[in-house]
Amino acid sequence: MLAVKALDTIKQHKADQPNGQSGNNQGNDAAPTRTLWADALRRLLKNKMAVVAFFWIVFIVLVALSADLWVPYLLGSPTDIDTTLAAQNSKLPPSALHPFGTDNLGRDVMARVIYGARVSLSVGVIAVAISTTIGIVLGSLAAYFGGIWDTLIMRLTDVFMAFPYILFVIAMLAVLGPGFINVFIAIGLLGWTSIARVIRSAILQVKENDYISAAKALGASHLRIVVRHILPNSIASVVVYATMSIGSAILTESALSFLGLGIQPPTPSWGLMISEGQNFMVAAPWLMLCPGIAILTTVLAFTLLGDGLRDALDVKVTD
Amino acid sequence: MVRYILRRVLQFIPVFIGVTILLFTLRSIVPGDPIRMIAGEKSLAPEVYEQIVERNHLNEPIYIQYGYYMNDLLHGDLGTSYQRHTEVSKIFADRFPYTLQLALCAIAIEIIIGIATGIISAIKRYSFIDVLVTLSTSILVSVPVFWLGMLLQMFFGIYLKDLTGGTFSLPLSGAGGPISQFPNWMHYILPAITLASVSLAFTARIMRSQLLEVLNQDYIRTAFAKGLSKRAVIIKHALKNAMIPVITFIGIDFGAMMSGAILTETIFNWPGIGHEIYLAITQRDWPIVMGGVILIVVVVMIVNLITDISYALFDPRIRYGKKKGSE
Amino acid sequence: MAGAAAIGASALQGCGGGSSSGGGTPSGGAGGGDSKAGGTLAYYISQPAFIDPFDLQESEGTQVSSNLFDSLVDYDFVTGELVPAAAESWEISEDATVFTFKLREGAKFHNGDPVTAKDFKFGWERIVNPNTAPDPSAISYHLGMVKGFDELLSGGAKELSGVVALDDLTLEVTLTQAYADFIFVCMHPALCPVPTGGAAADYKTYSRAPIGNGPFKIKGEWVDDQYIQVERFDDYYGEKPLLDAVDFKIYQSPENAFNDFQAGNLDFTQIPPGQISAAVAEYGESADGWTVQPGKQCLLGEESSTYYLVINNNDPVLKDKGIRTAISYAINRQAICDTVFDGTRAPADGIIPPGIAGFHEGAWDTAVYDVEKAKAALSAAGFEGGEGIPTIKLSFNTGGGHEDIMQLIQADLAAIGIKAELNALEWAAYLDALQAGQIQIGRLGWIADYPIADNFAYALFYSESGDNNSKYNNPAVDAKILEARQITDTDARVKAYQDIDKLIAADVPVVPVMFYKHSRVGSQRLNDFFFGPNMIADLPKAWLTK
Repeated sequence: MLAVKALDTIKQHKADQPNGQSGNNQGNDAAPTRTLWADALRRLLKNKMAVVAFFWIVFIVLVALSADLWVPYLLGSPTDIDTTLAAQNSKLPPSALHPFGTDNLGRDVMARVIYGARVSLSVGVIAVAISTTIGIVLGSLAAYFGGIWDTLIMRLTDVFMAFPYILFVIAMLAVLGPGFINVFIAIGLLGWTSIARVIRSAILQVKENDYISAAKALGASHLRIVVRHILPNSIASVVVYATMSIGSAILTESALSFLGLGIQPPTPSWGLMISEGQNFMVAAPWLMLCPGIAILTTVLAFTLLGDGLRDALDVKVTD
Repeated sequence: MVRYILRRVLQFIPVFIGVTILLFTLRSIVPGDPIRMIAGEKSLAPEVYEQIVERNHLNEPIYIQYGYYMNDLLHGDLGTSYQRHTEVSKIFADRFPYTLQLALCAIAIEIIIGIATGIISAIKRYSFIDVLVTLSTSILVSVPVFWLGMLLQMFFGIYLKDLTGGTFSLPLSGAGGPISQFPNWMHYILPAITLASVSLAFTARIMRSQLLEVLNQDYIRTAFAKGLSKRAVIIKHALKNAMIPVITFIGIDFGAMMSGAILTETIFNWPGIGHEIYLAITQRDWPIVMGGVILIVVVVMIVNLITDISYALFDPRIRYGKKKGSE
Repeated sequence: MAGAAAIGASALQGCGGGSSSGGGTPSGGAGGGDSKAGGTLAYYISQPAFIDPFDLQESEGTQVSSNLFDSLVDYDFVTGELVPAAAESWEISEDATVFTFKLREGAKFHNGDPVTAKDFKFGWERIVNPNTAPDPSAISYHLGMVKGFDELLSGGAKELSGVVALDDLTLEVTLTQAYADFIFVCMHPALCPVPTGGAAADYKTYSRAPIGNGPFKIKGEWVDDQYIQVERFDDYYGEKPLLDAVDFKIYQSPENAFNDFQAGNLDFTQIPPGQISAAVAEYGESADGWTVQPGKQCLLGEESSTYYLVINNNDPVLKDKGIRTAISYAINRQAICDTVFDGTRAPADGIIPPGIAGFHEGAWDTAVYDVEKAKAALSAAGFEGGEGIPTIKLSFNTGGGHEDIMQLIQADLAAIGIKAELNALEWAAYLDALQAGQIQIGRLGWIADYPIADNFAYALFYSESGDNNSKYNNPAVDAKILEARQITDTDARVKAYQDIDKLIAADVPVVPVMFYKHSRVGSQRLNDFFFGPNMIADLPKAWLTK
């Protein structure tokens, strides 16, 4: 959870300083052209770690999506249990038949890890989509209209940020009840503050540019100005933050499931699997090692890809 | 300076009120009857139930309850736990030192290791060590904290048990008892490392990027051009400016550790406030939840204020009272 | 720890010292010369909620408090008999409404005050009186049948009129209804004397360092999250403890405590889940499951508590007894005990657990795993192969291993064709739903307050009992319970409750799943250490090898 908070605080820090490194670059570049994105892609491809990360993510996505086609036949069901055999199949060490061993109820751990990827990826993507949308809307409102809108939204951001994040998510889940959809909602609803700040400061810089004034003078509507002129300029930072937030959303989900508040059985979730394995740390360490490594590599991939995107889109760093 | 501090404190008031309103909103919408929780799986006699409800004003509308709470709060009374009949202020007076000590240990690790690796990595940019630092900090920010804590316990507490004499798996609280064979500080090592892990990775990353950025700036290039040695330039000019965002981060992080330590505290069974508030949420012991969150929010505010003030020591360009950042 | 919260939420309670002989000649143990005497025992507990009898309900506080206080009577789990404690004798009126206790002469509180009938009256009133502490006690229900209870609880009366000190050593208790088993209620560790002399005047001080009449007295006061130290009380009326002192060391988790035990810093602790077999191999298993002796140190004996499935008897689907019967036959209890609990639970074959008067093996004939019978029961009810039964919701509270149990039960039900989905709720939300009758099938662990069948029959199955969460309602059972409560002859009463248990079993209102078992271990130097089914240690008997 600290990771989430720490990532937040970094974003917060950067967002707090409009003249700091990250906001600056998009602001100085007047209008992004096709070449900017092409250049960015070229730079990204040169970053070996980011490329590896990208392909790892693609790999996980493919495995997770195709799981129904082969996992039940090769490894066994991730959820079904035969209670008459449960005791004898319980906690078998890794073998050719069960590459990651079996859990205490006799299910194949590899099958559960693979199906767990579905949970983690969907939480990551959906929760971040929710928080990014809220963040963009509120951030744009605050920055573009200013005045009372700005004050209200920024005070709300302050309150949300002052409230201890993990306790907030736990309390939200207490309201909604544990479960798959509710985890999306809780993480999504509470993660918007950093994106809102990023968008706001990015827009504030763009707003004063000549071409915006020109568009205003030409009588363009507010919505049109925001959507056509301002947002595209902030899109680079949104992409970078969203990519990194996917990693922290996955971490948050695993922590919630670890505490028993997140995804509920029989749906396999990595965090839940670690918590189940905790009791058997000595007798069957693979129960906690396998899902842990899955979380680590997945989040690491999003972190490295996010870093790569940041460097690639950030003109100044590569300058 | 005094005026600046006053202004910051005044700015904090609406945030504080917002937090209390948010807490009461949560309290009114979270399902689960706190009084029923007192008796657990057994049922509570109806008369007793009524009496507890009445004494805690739980039968009043939520805004009246808010009024009662804020009134008590202004008189320094955080209320009494439903579950334990103990004053909330006493509970946190007991818990806070544990959290604070652990956070201080973690911050120390974060500052020493984080800043040092960040600097080395920036100076030796693109070297093997830089790649190593970059990769390992990326791993550290991607690892689930609770899992890291379990790995450390497994490695030092179980596999290396004979080597360490079981020291690292020993609990904190037993150590305070009448019989203890290890000094108290030993118990801080693993939890502090776990708690510090993510933060020190971020500290190293920020330190590195800030230092690189500063080293790129004109006045540093000028200094180099004047023929000053690299060491002198870095220590005298670059570090001072590069430190500011690092300090900001550490300040914010210290605040985050006040509450963000729930997982570390859970894994290591550390009797800190994060764990206490988490348990209180699950038991719907609202006086503890509210008192705890308010405590955290106030501590974070104080830490942020101190951080801001400490800028002045590092960056004389920042003057308070004037518009921030004007150069 | 979540498991401890769920189970510990309602506490196991019972008498102090499982097998202490009442009266007897004071042994010479306390004096010098005896090689058994002396030493300090280090004993693991987690942070108690209370050690003051005022609200003594969970296991941790009870383990401490039962050594600081003696109630009127005591129960010997080995012989299954009531034995004298603070009262040397008692009489029960013909109609089972008036109980007269003769107290021991010369018994003293730890502060030197004599123990009188007035102190018992005060101790009991203190629990019922809503103004003793900031909030009223949650356990006043123990005395709910005593005359004057309602008046005192509602604040209208100043005293509990049904409790009268006839003289210094005679206590008379009058009930509002016949209840011969009330004598067993009197062994509850919360129903002990509290000194009237002003020692308990300040609730705050007294609750941190209670002064009692038990074999041990508190040294200093309870230090939160660290320890509670008690030492031998030399003026104790009964058999004096062999130990000099006991340090109750407070740990955050059994894992922590077990590590410290292995490092040699604890004499008695819990074995964490997943480490039972290793511990048995290393420390040896106790002969009777309840007594620690050197080399036979692991305790795996039964506890007086039952894990069962609550079934909503008003549910449109589950009100069909045939379906409930099928569910009961379908559950592979042994698999749950083996895979989830490493053998530290025993499959339940009835609702009344071992250690309770009236327990007998195979009490509920439906509480066995038999897939064929389950299928037959379904067919008989008209749901061949589960056809026509809508998906059933299995509700439970998160944490505590319930997820695993419920997944196994889900698989068992699927095997006979009943589709079930899991519905995990937070503990608080779960309790709400349970008591509002909003669940179909749920789970609970029932831990007896007193070692009597009535504490199961009445509490769980009497139509108007607050703990009857399955909303079972059988007027014949209700009538027989009220009848049985009036029988003063113990054997006849136990027999009556066994008959009631049969009636209940025939209706399958709930599904017993497991009996809890100890998973504790003592150190090599510990001798004659008895830890009964009520989870209370008989500390005065225990001694340490020097």
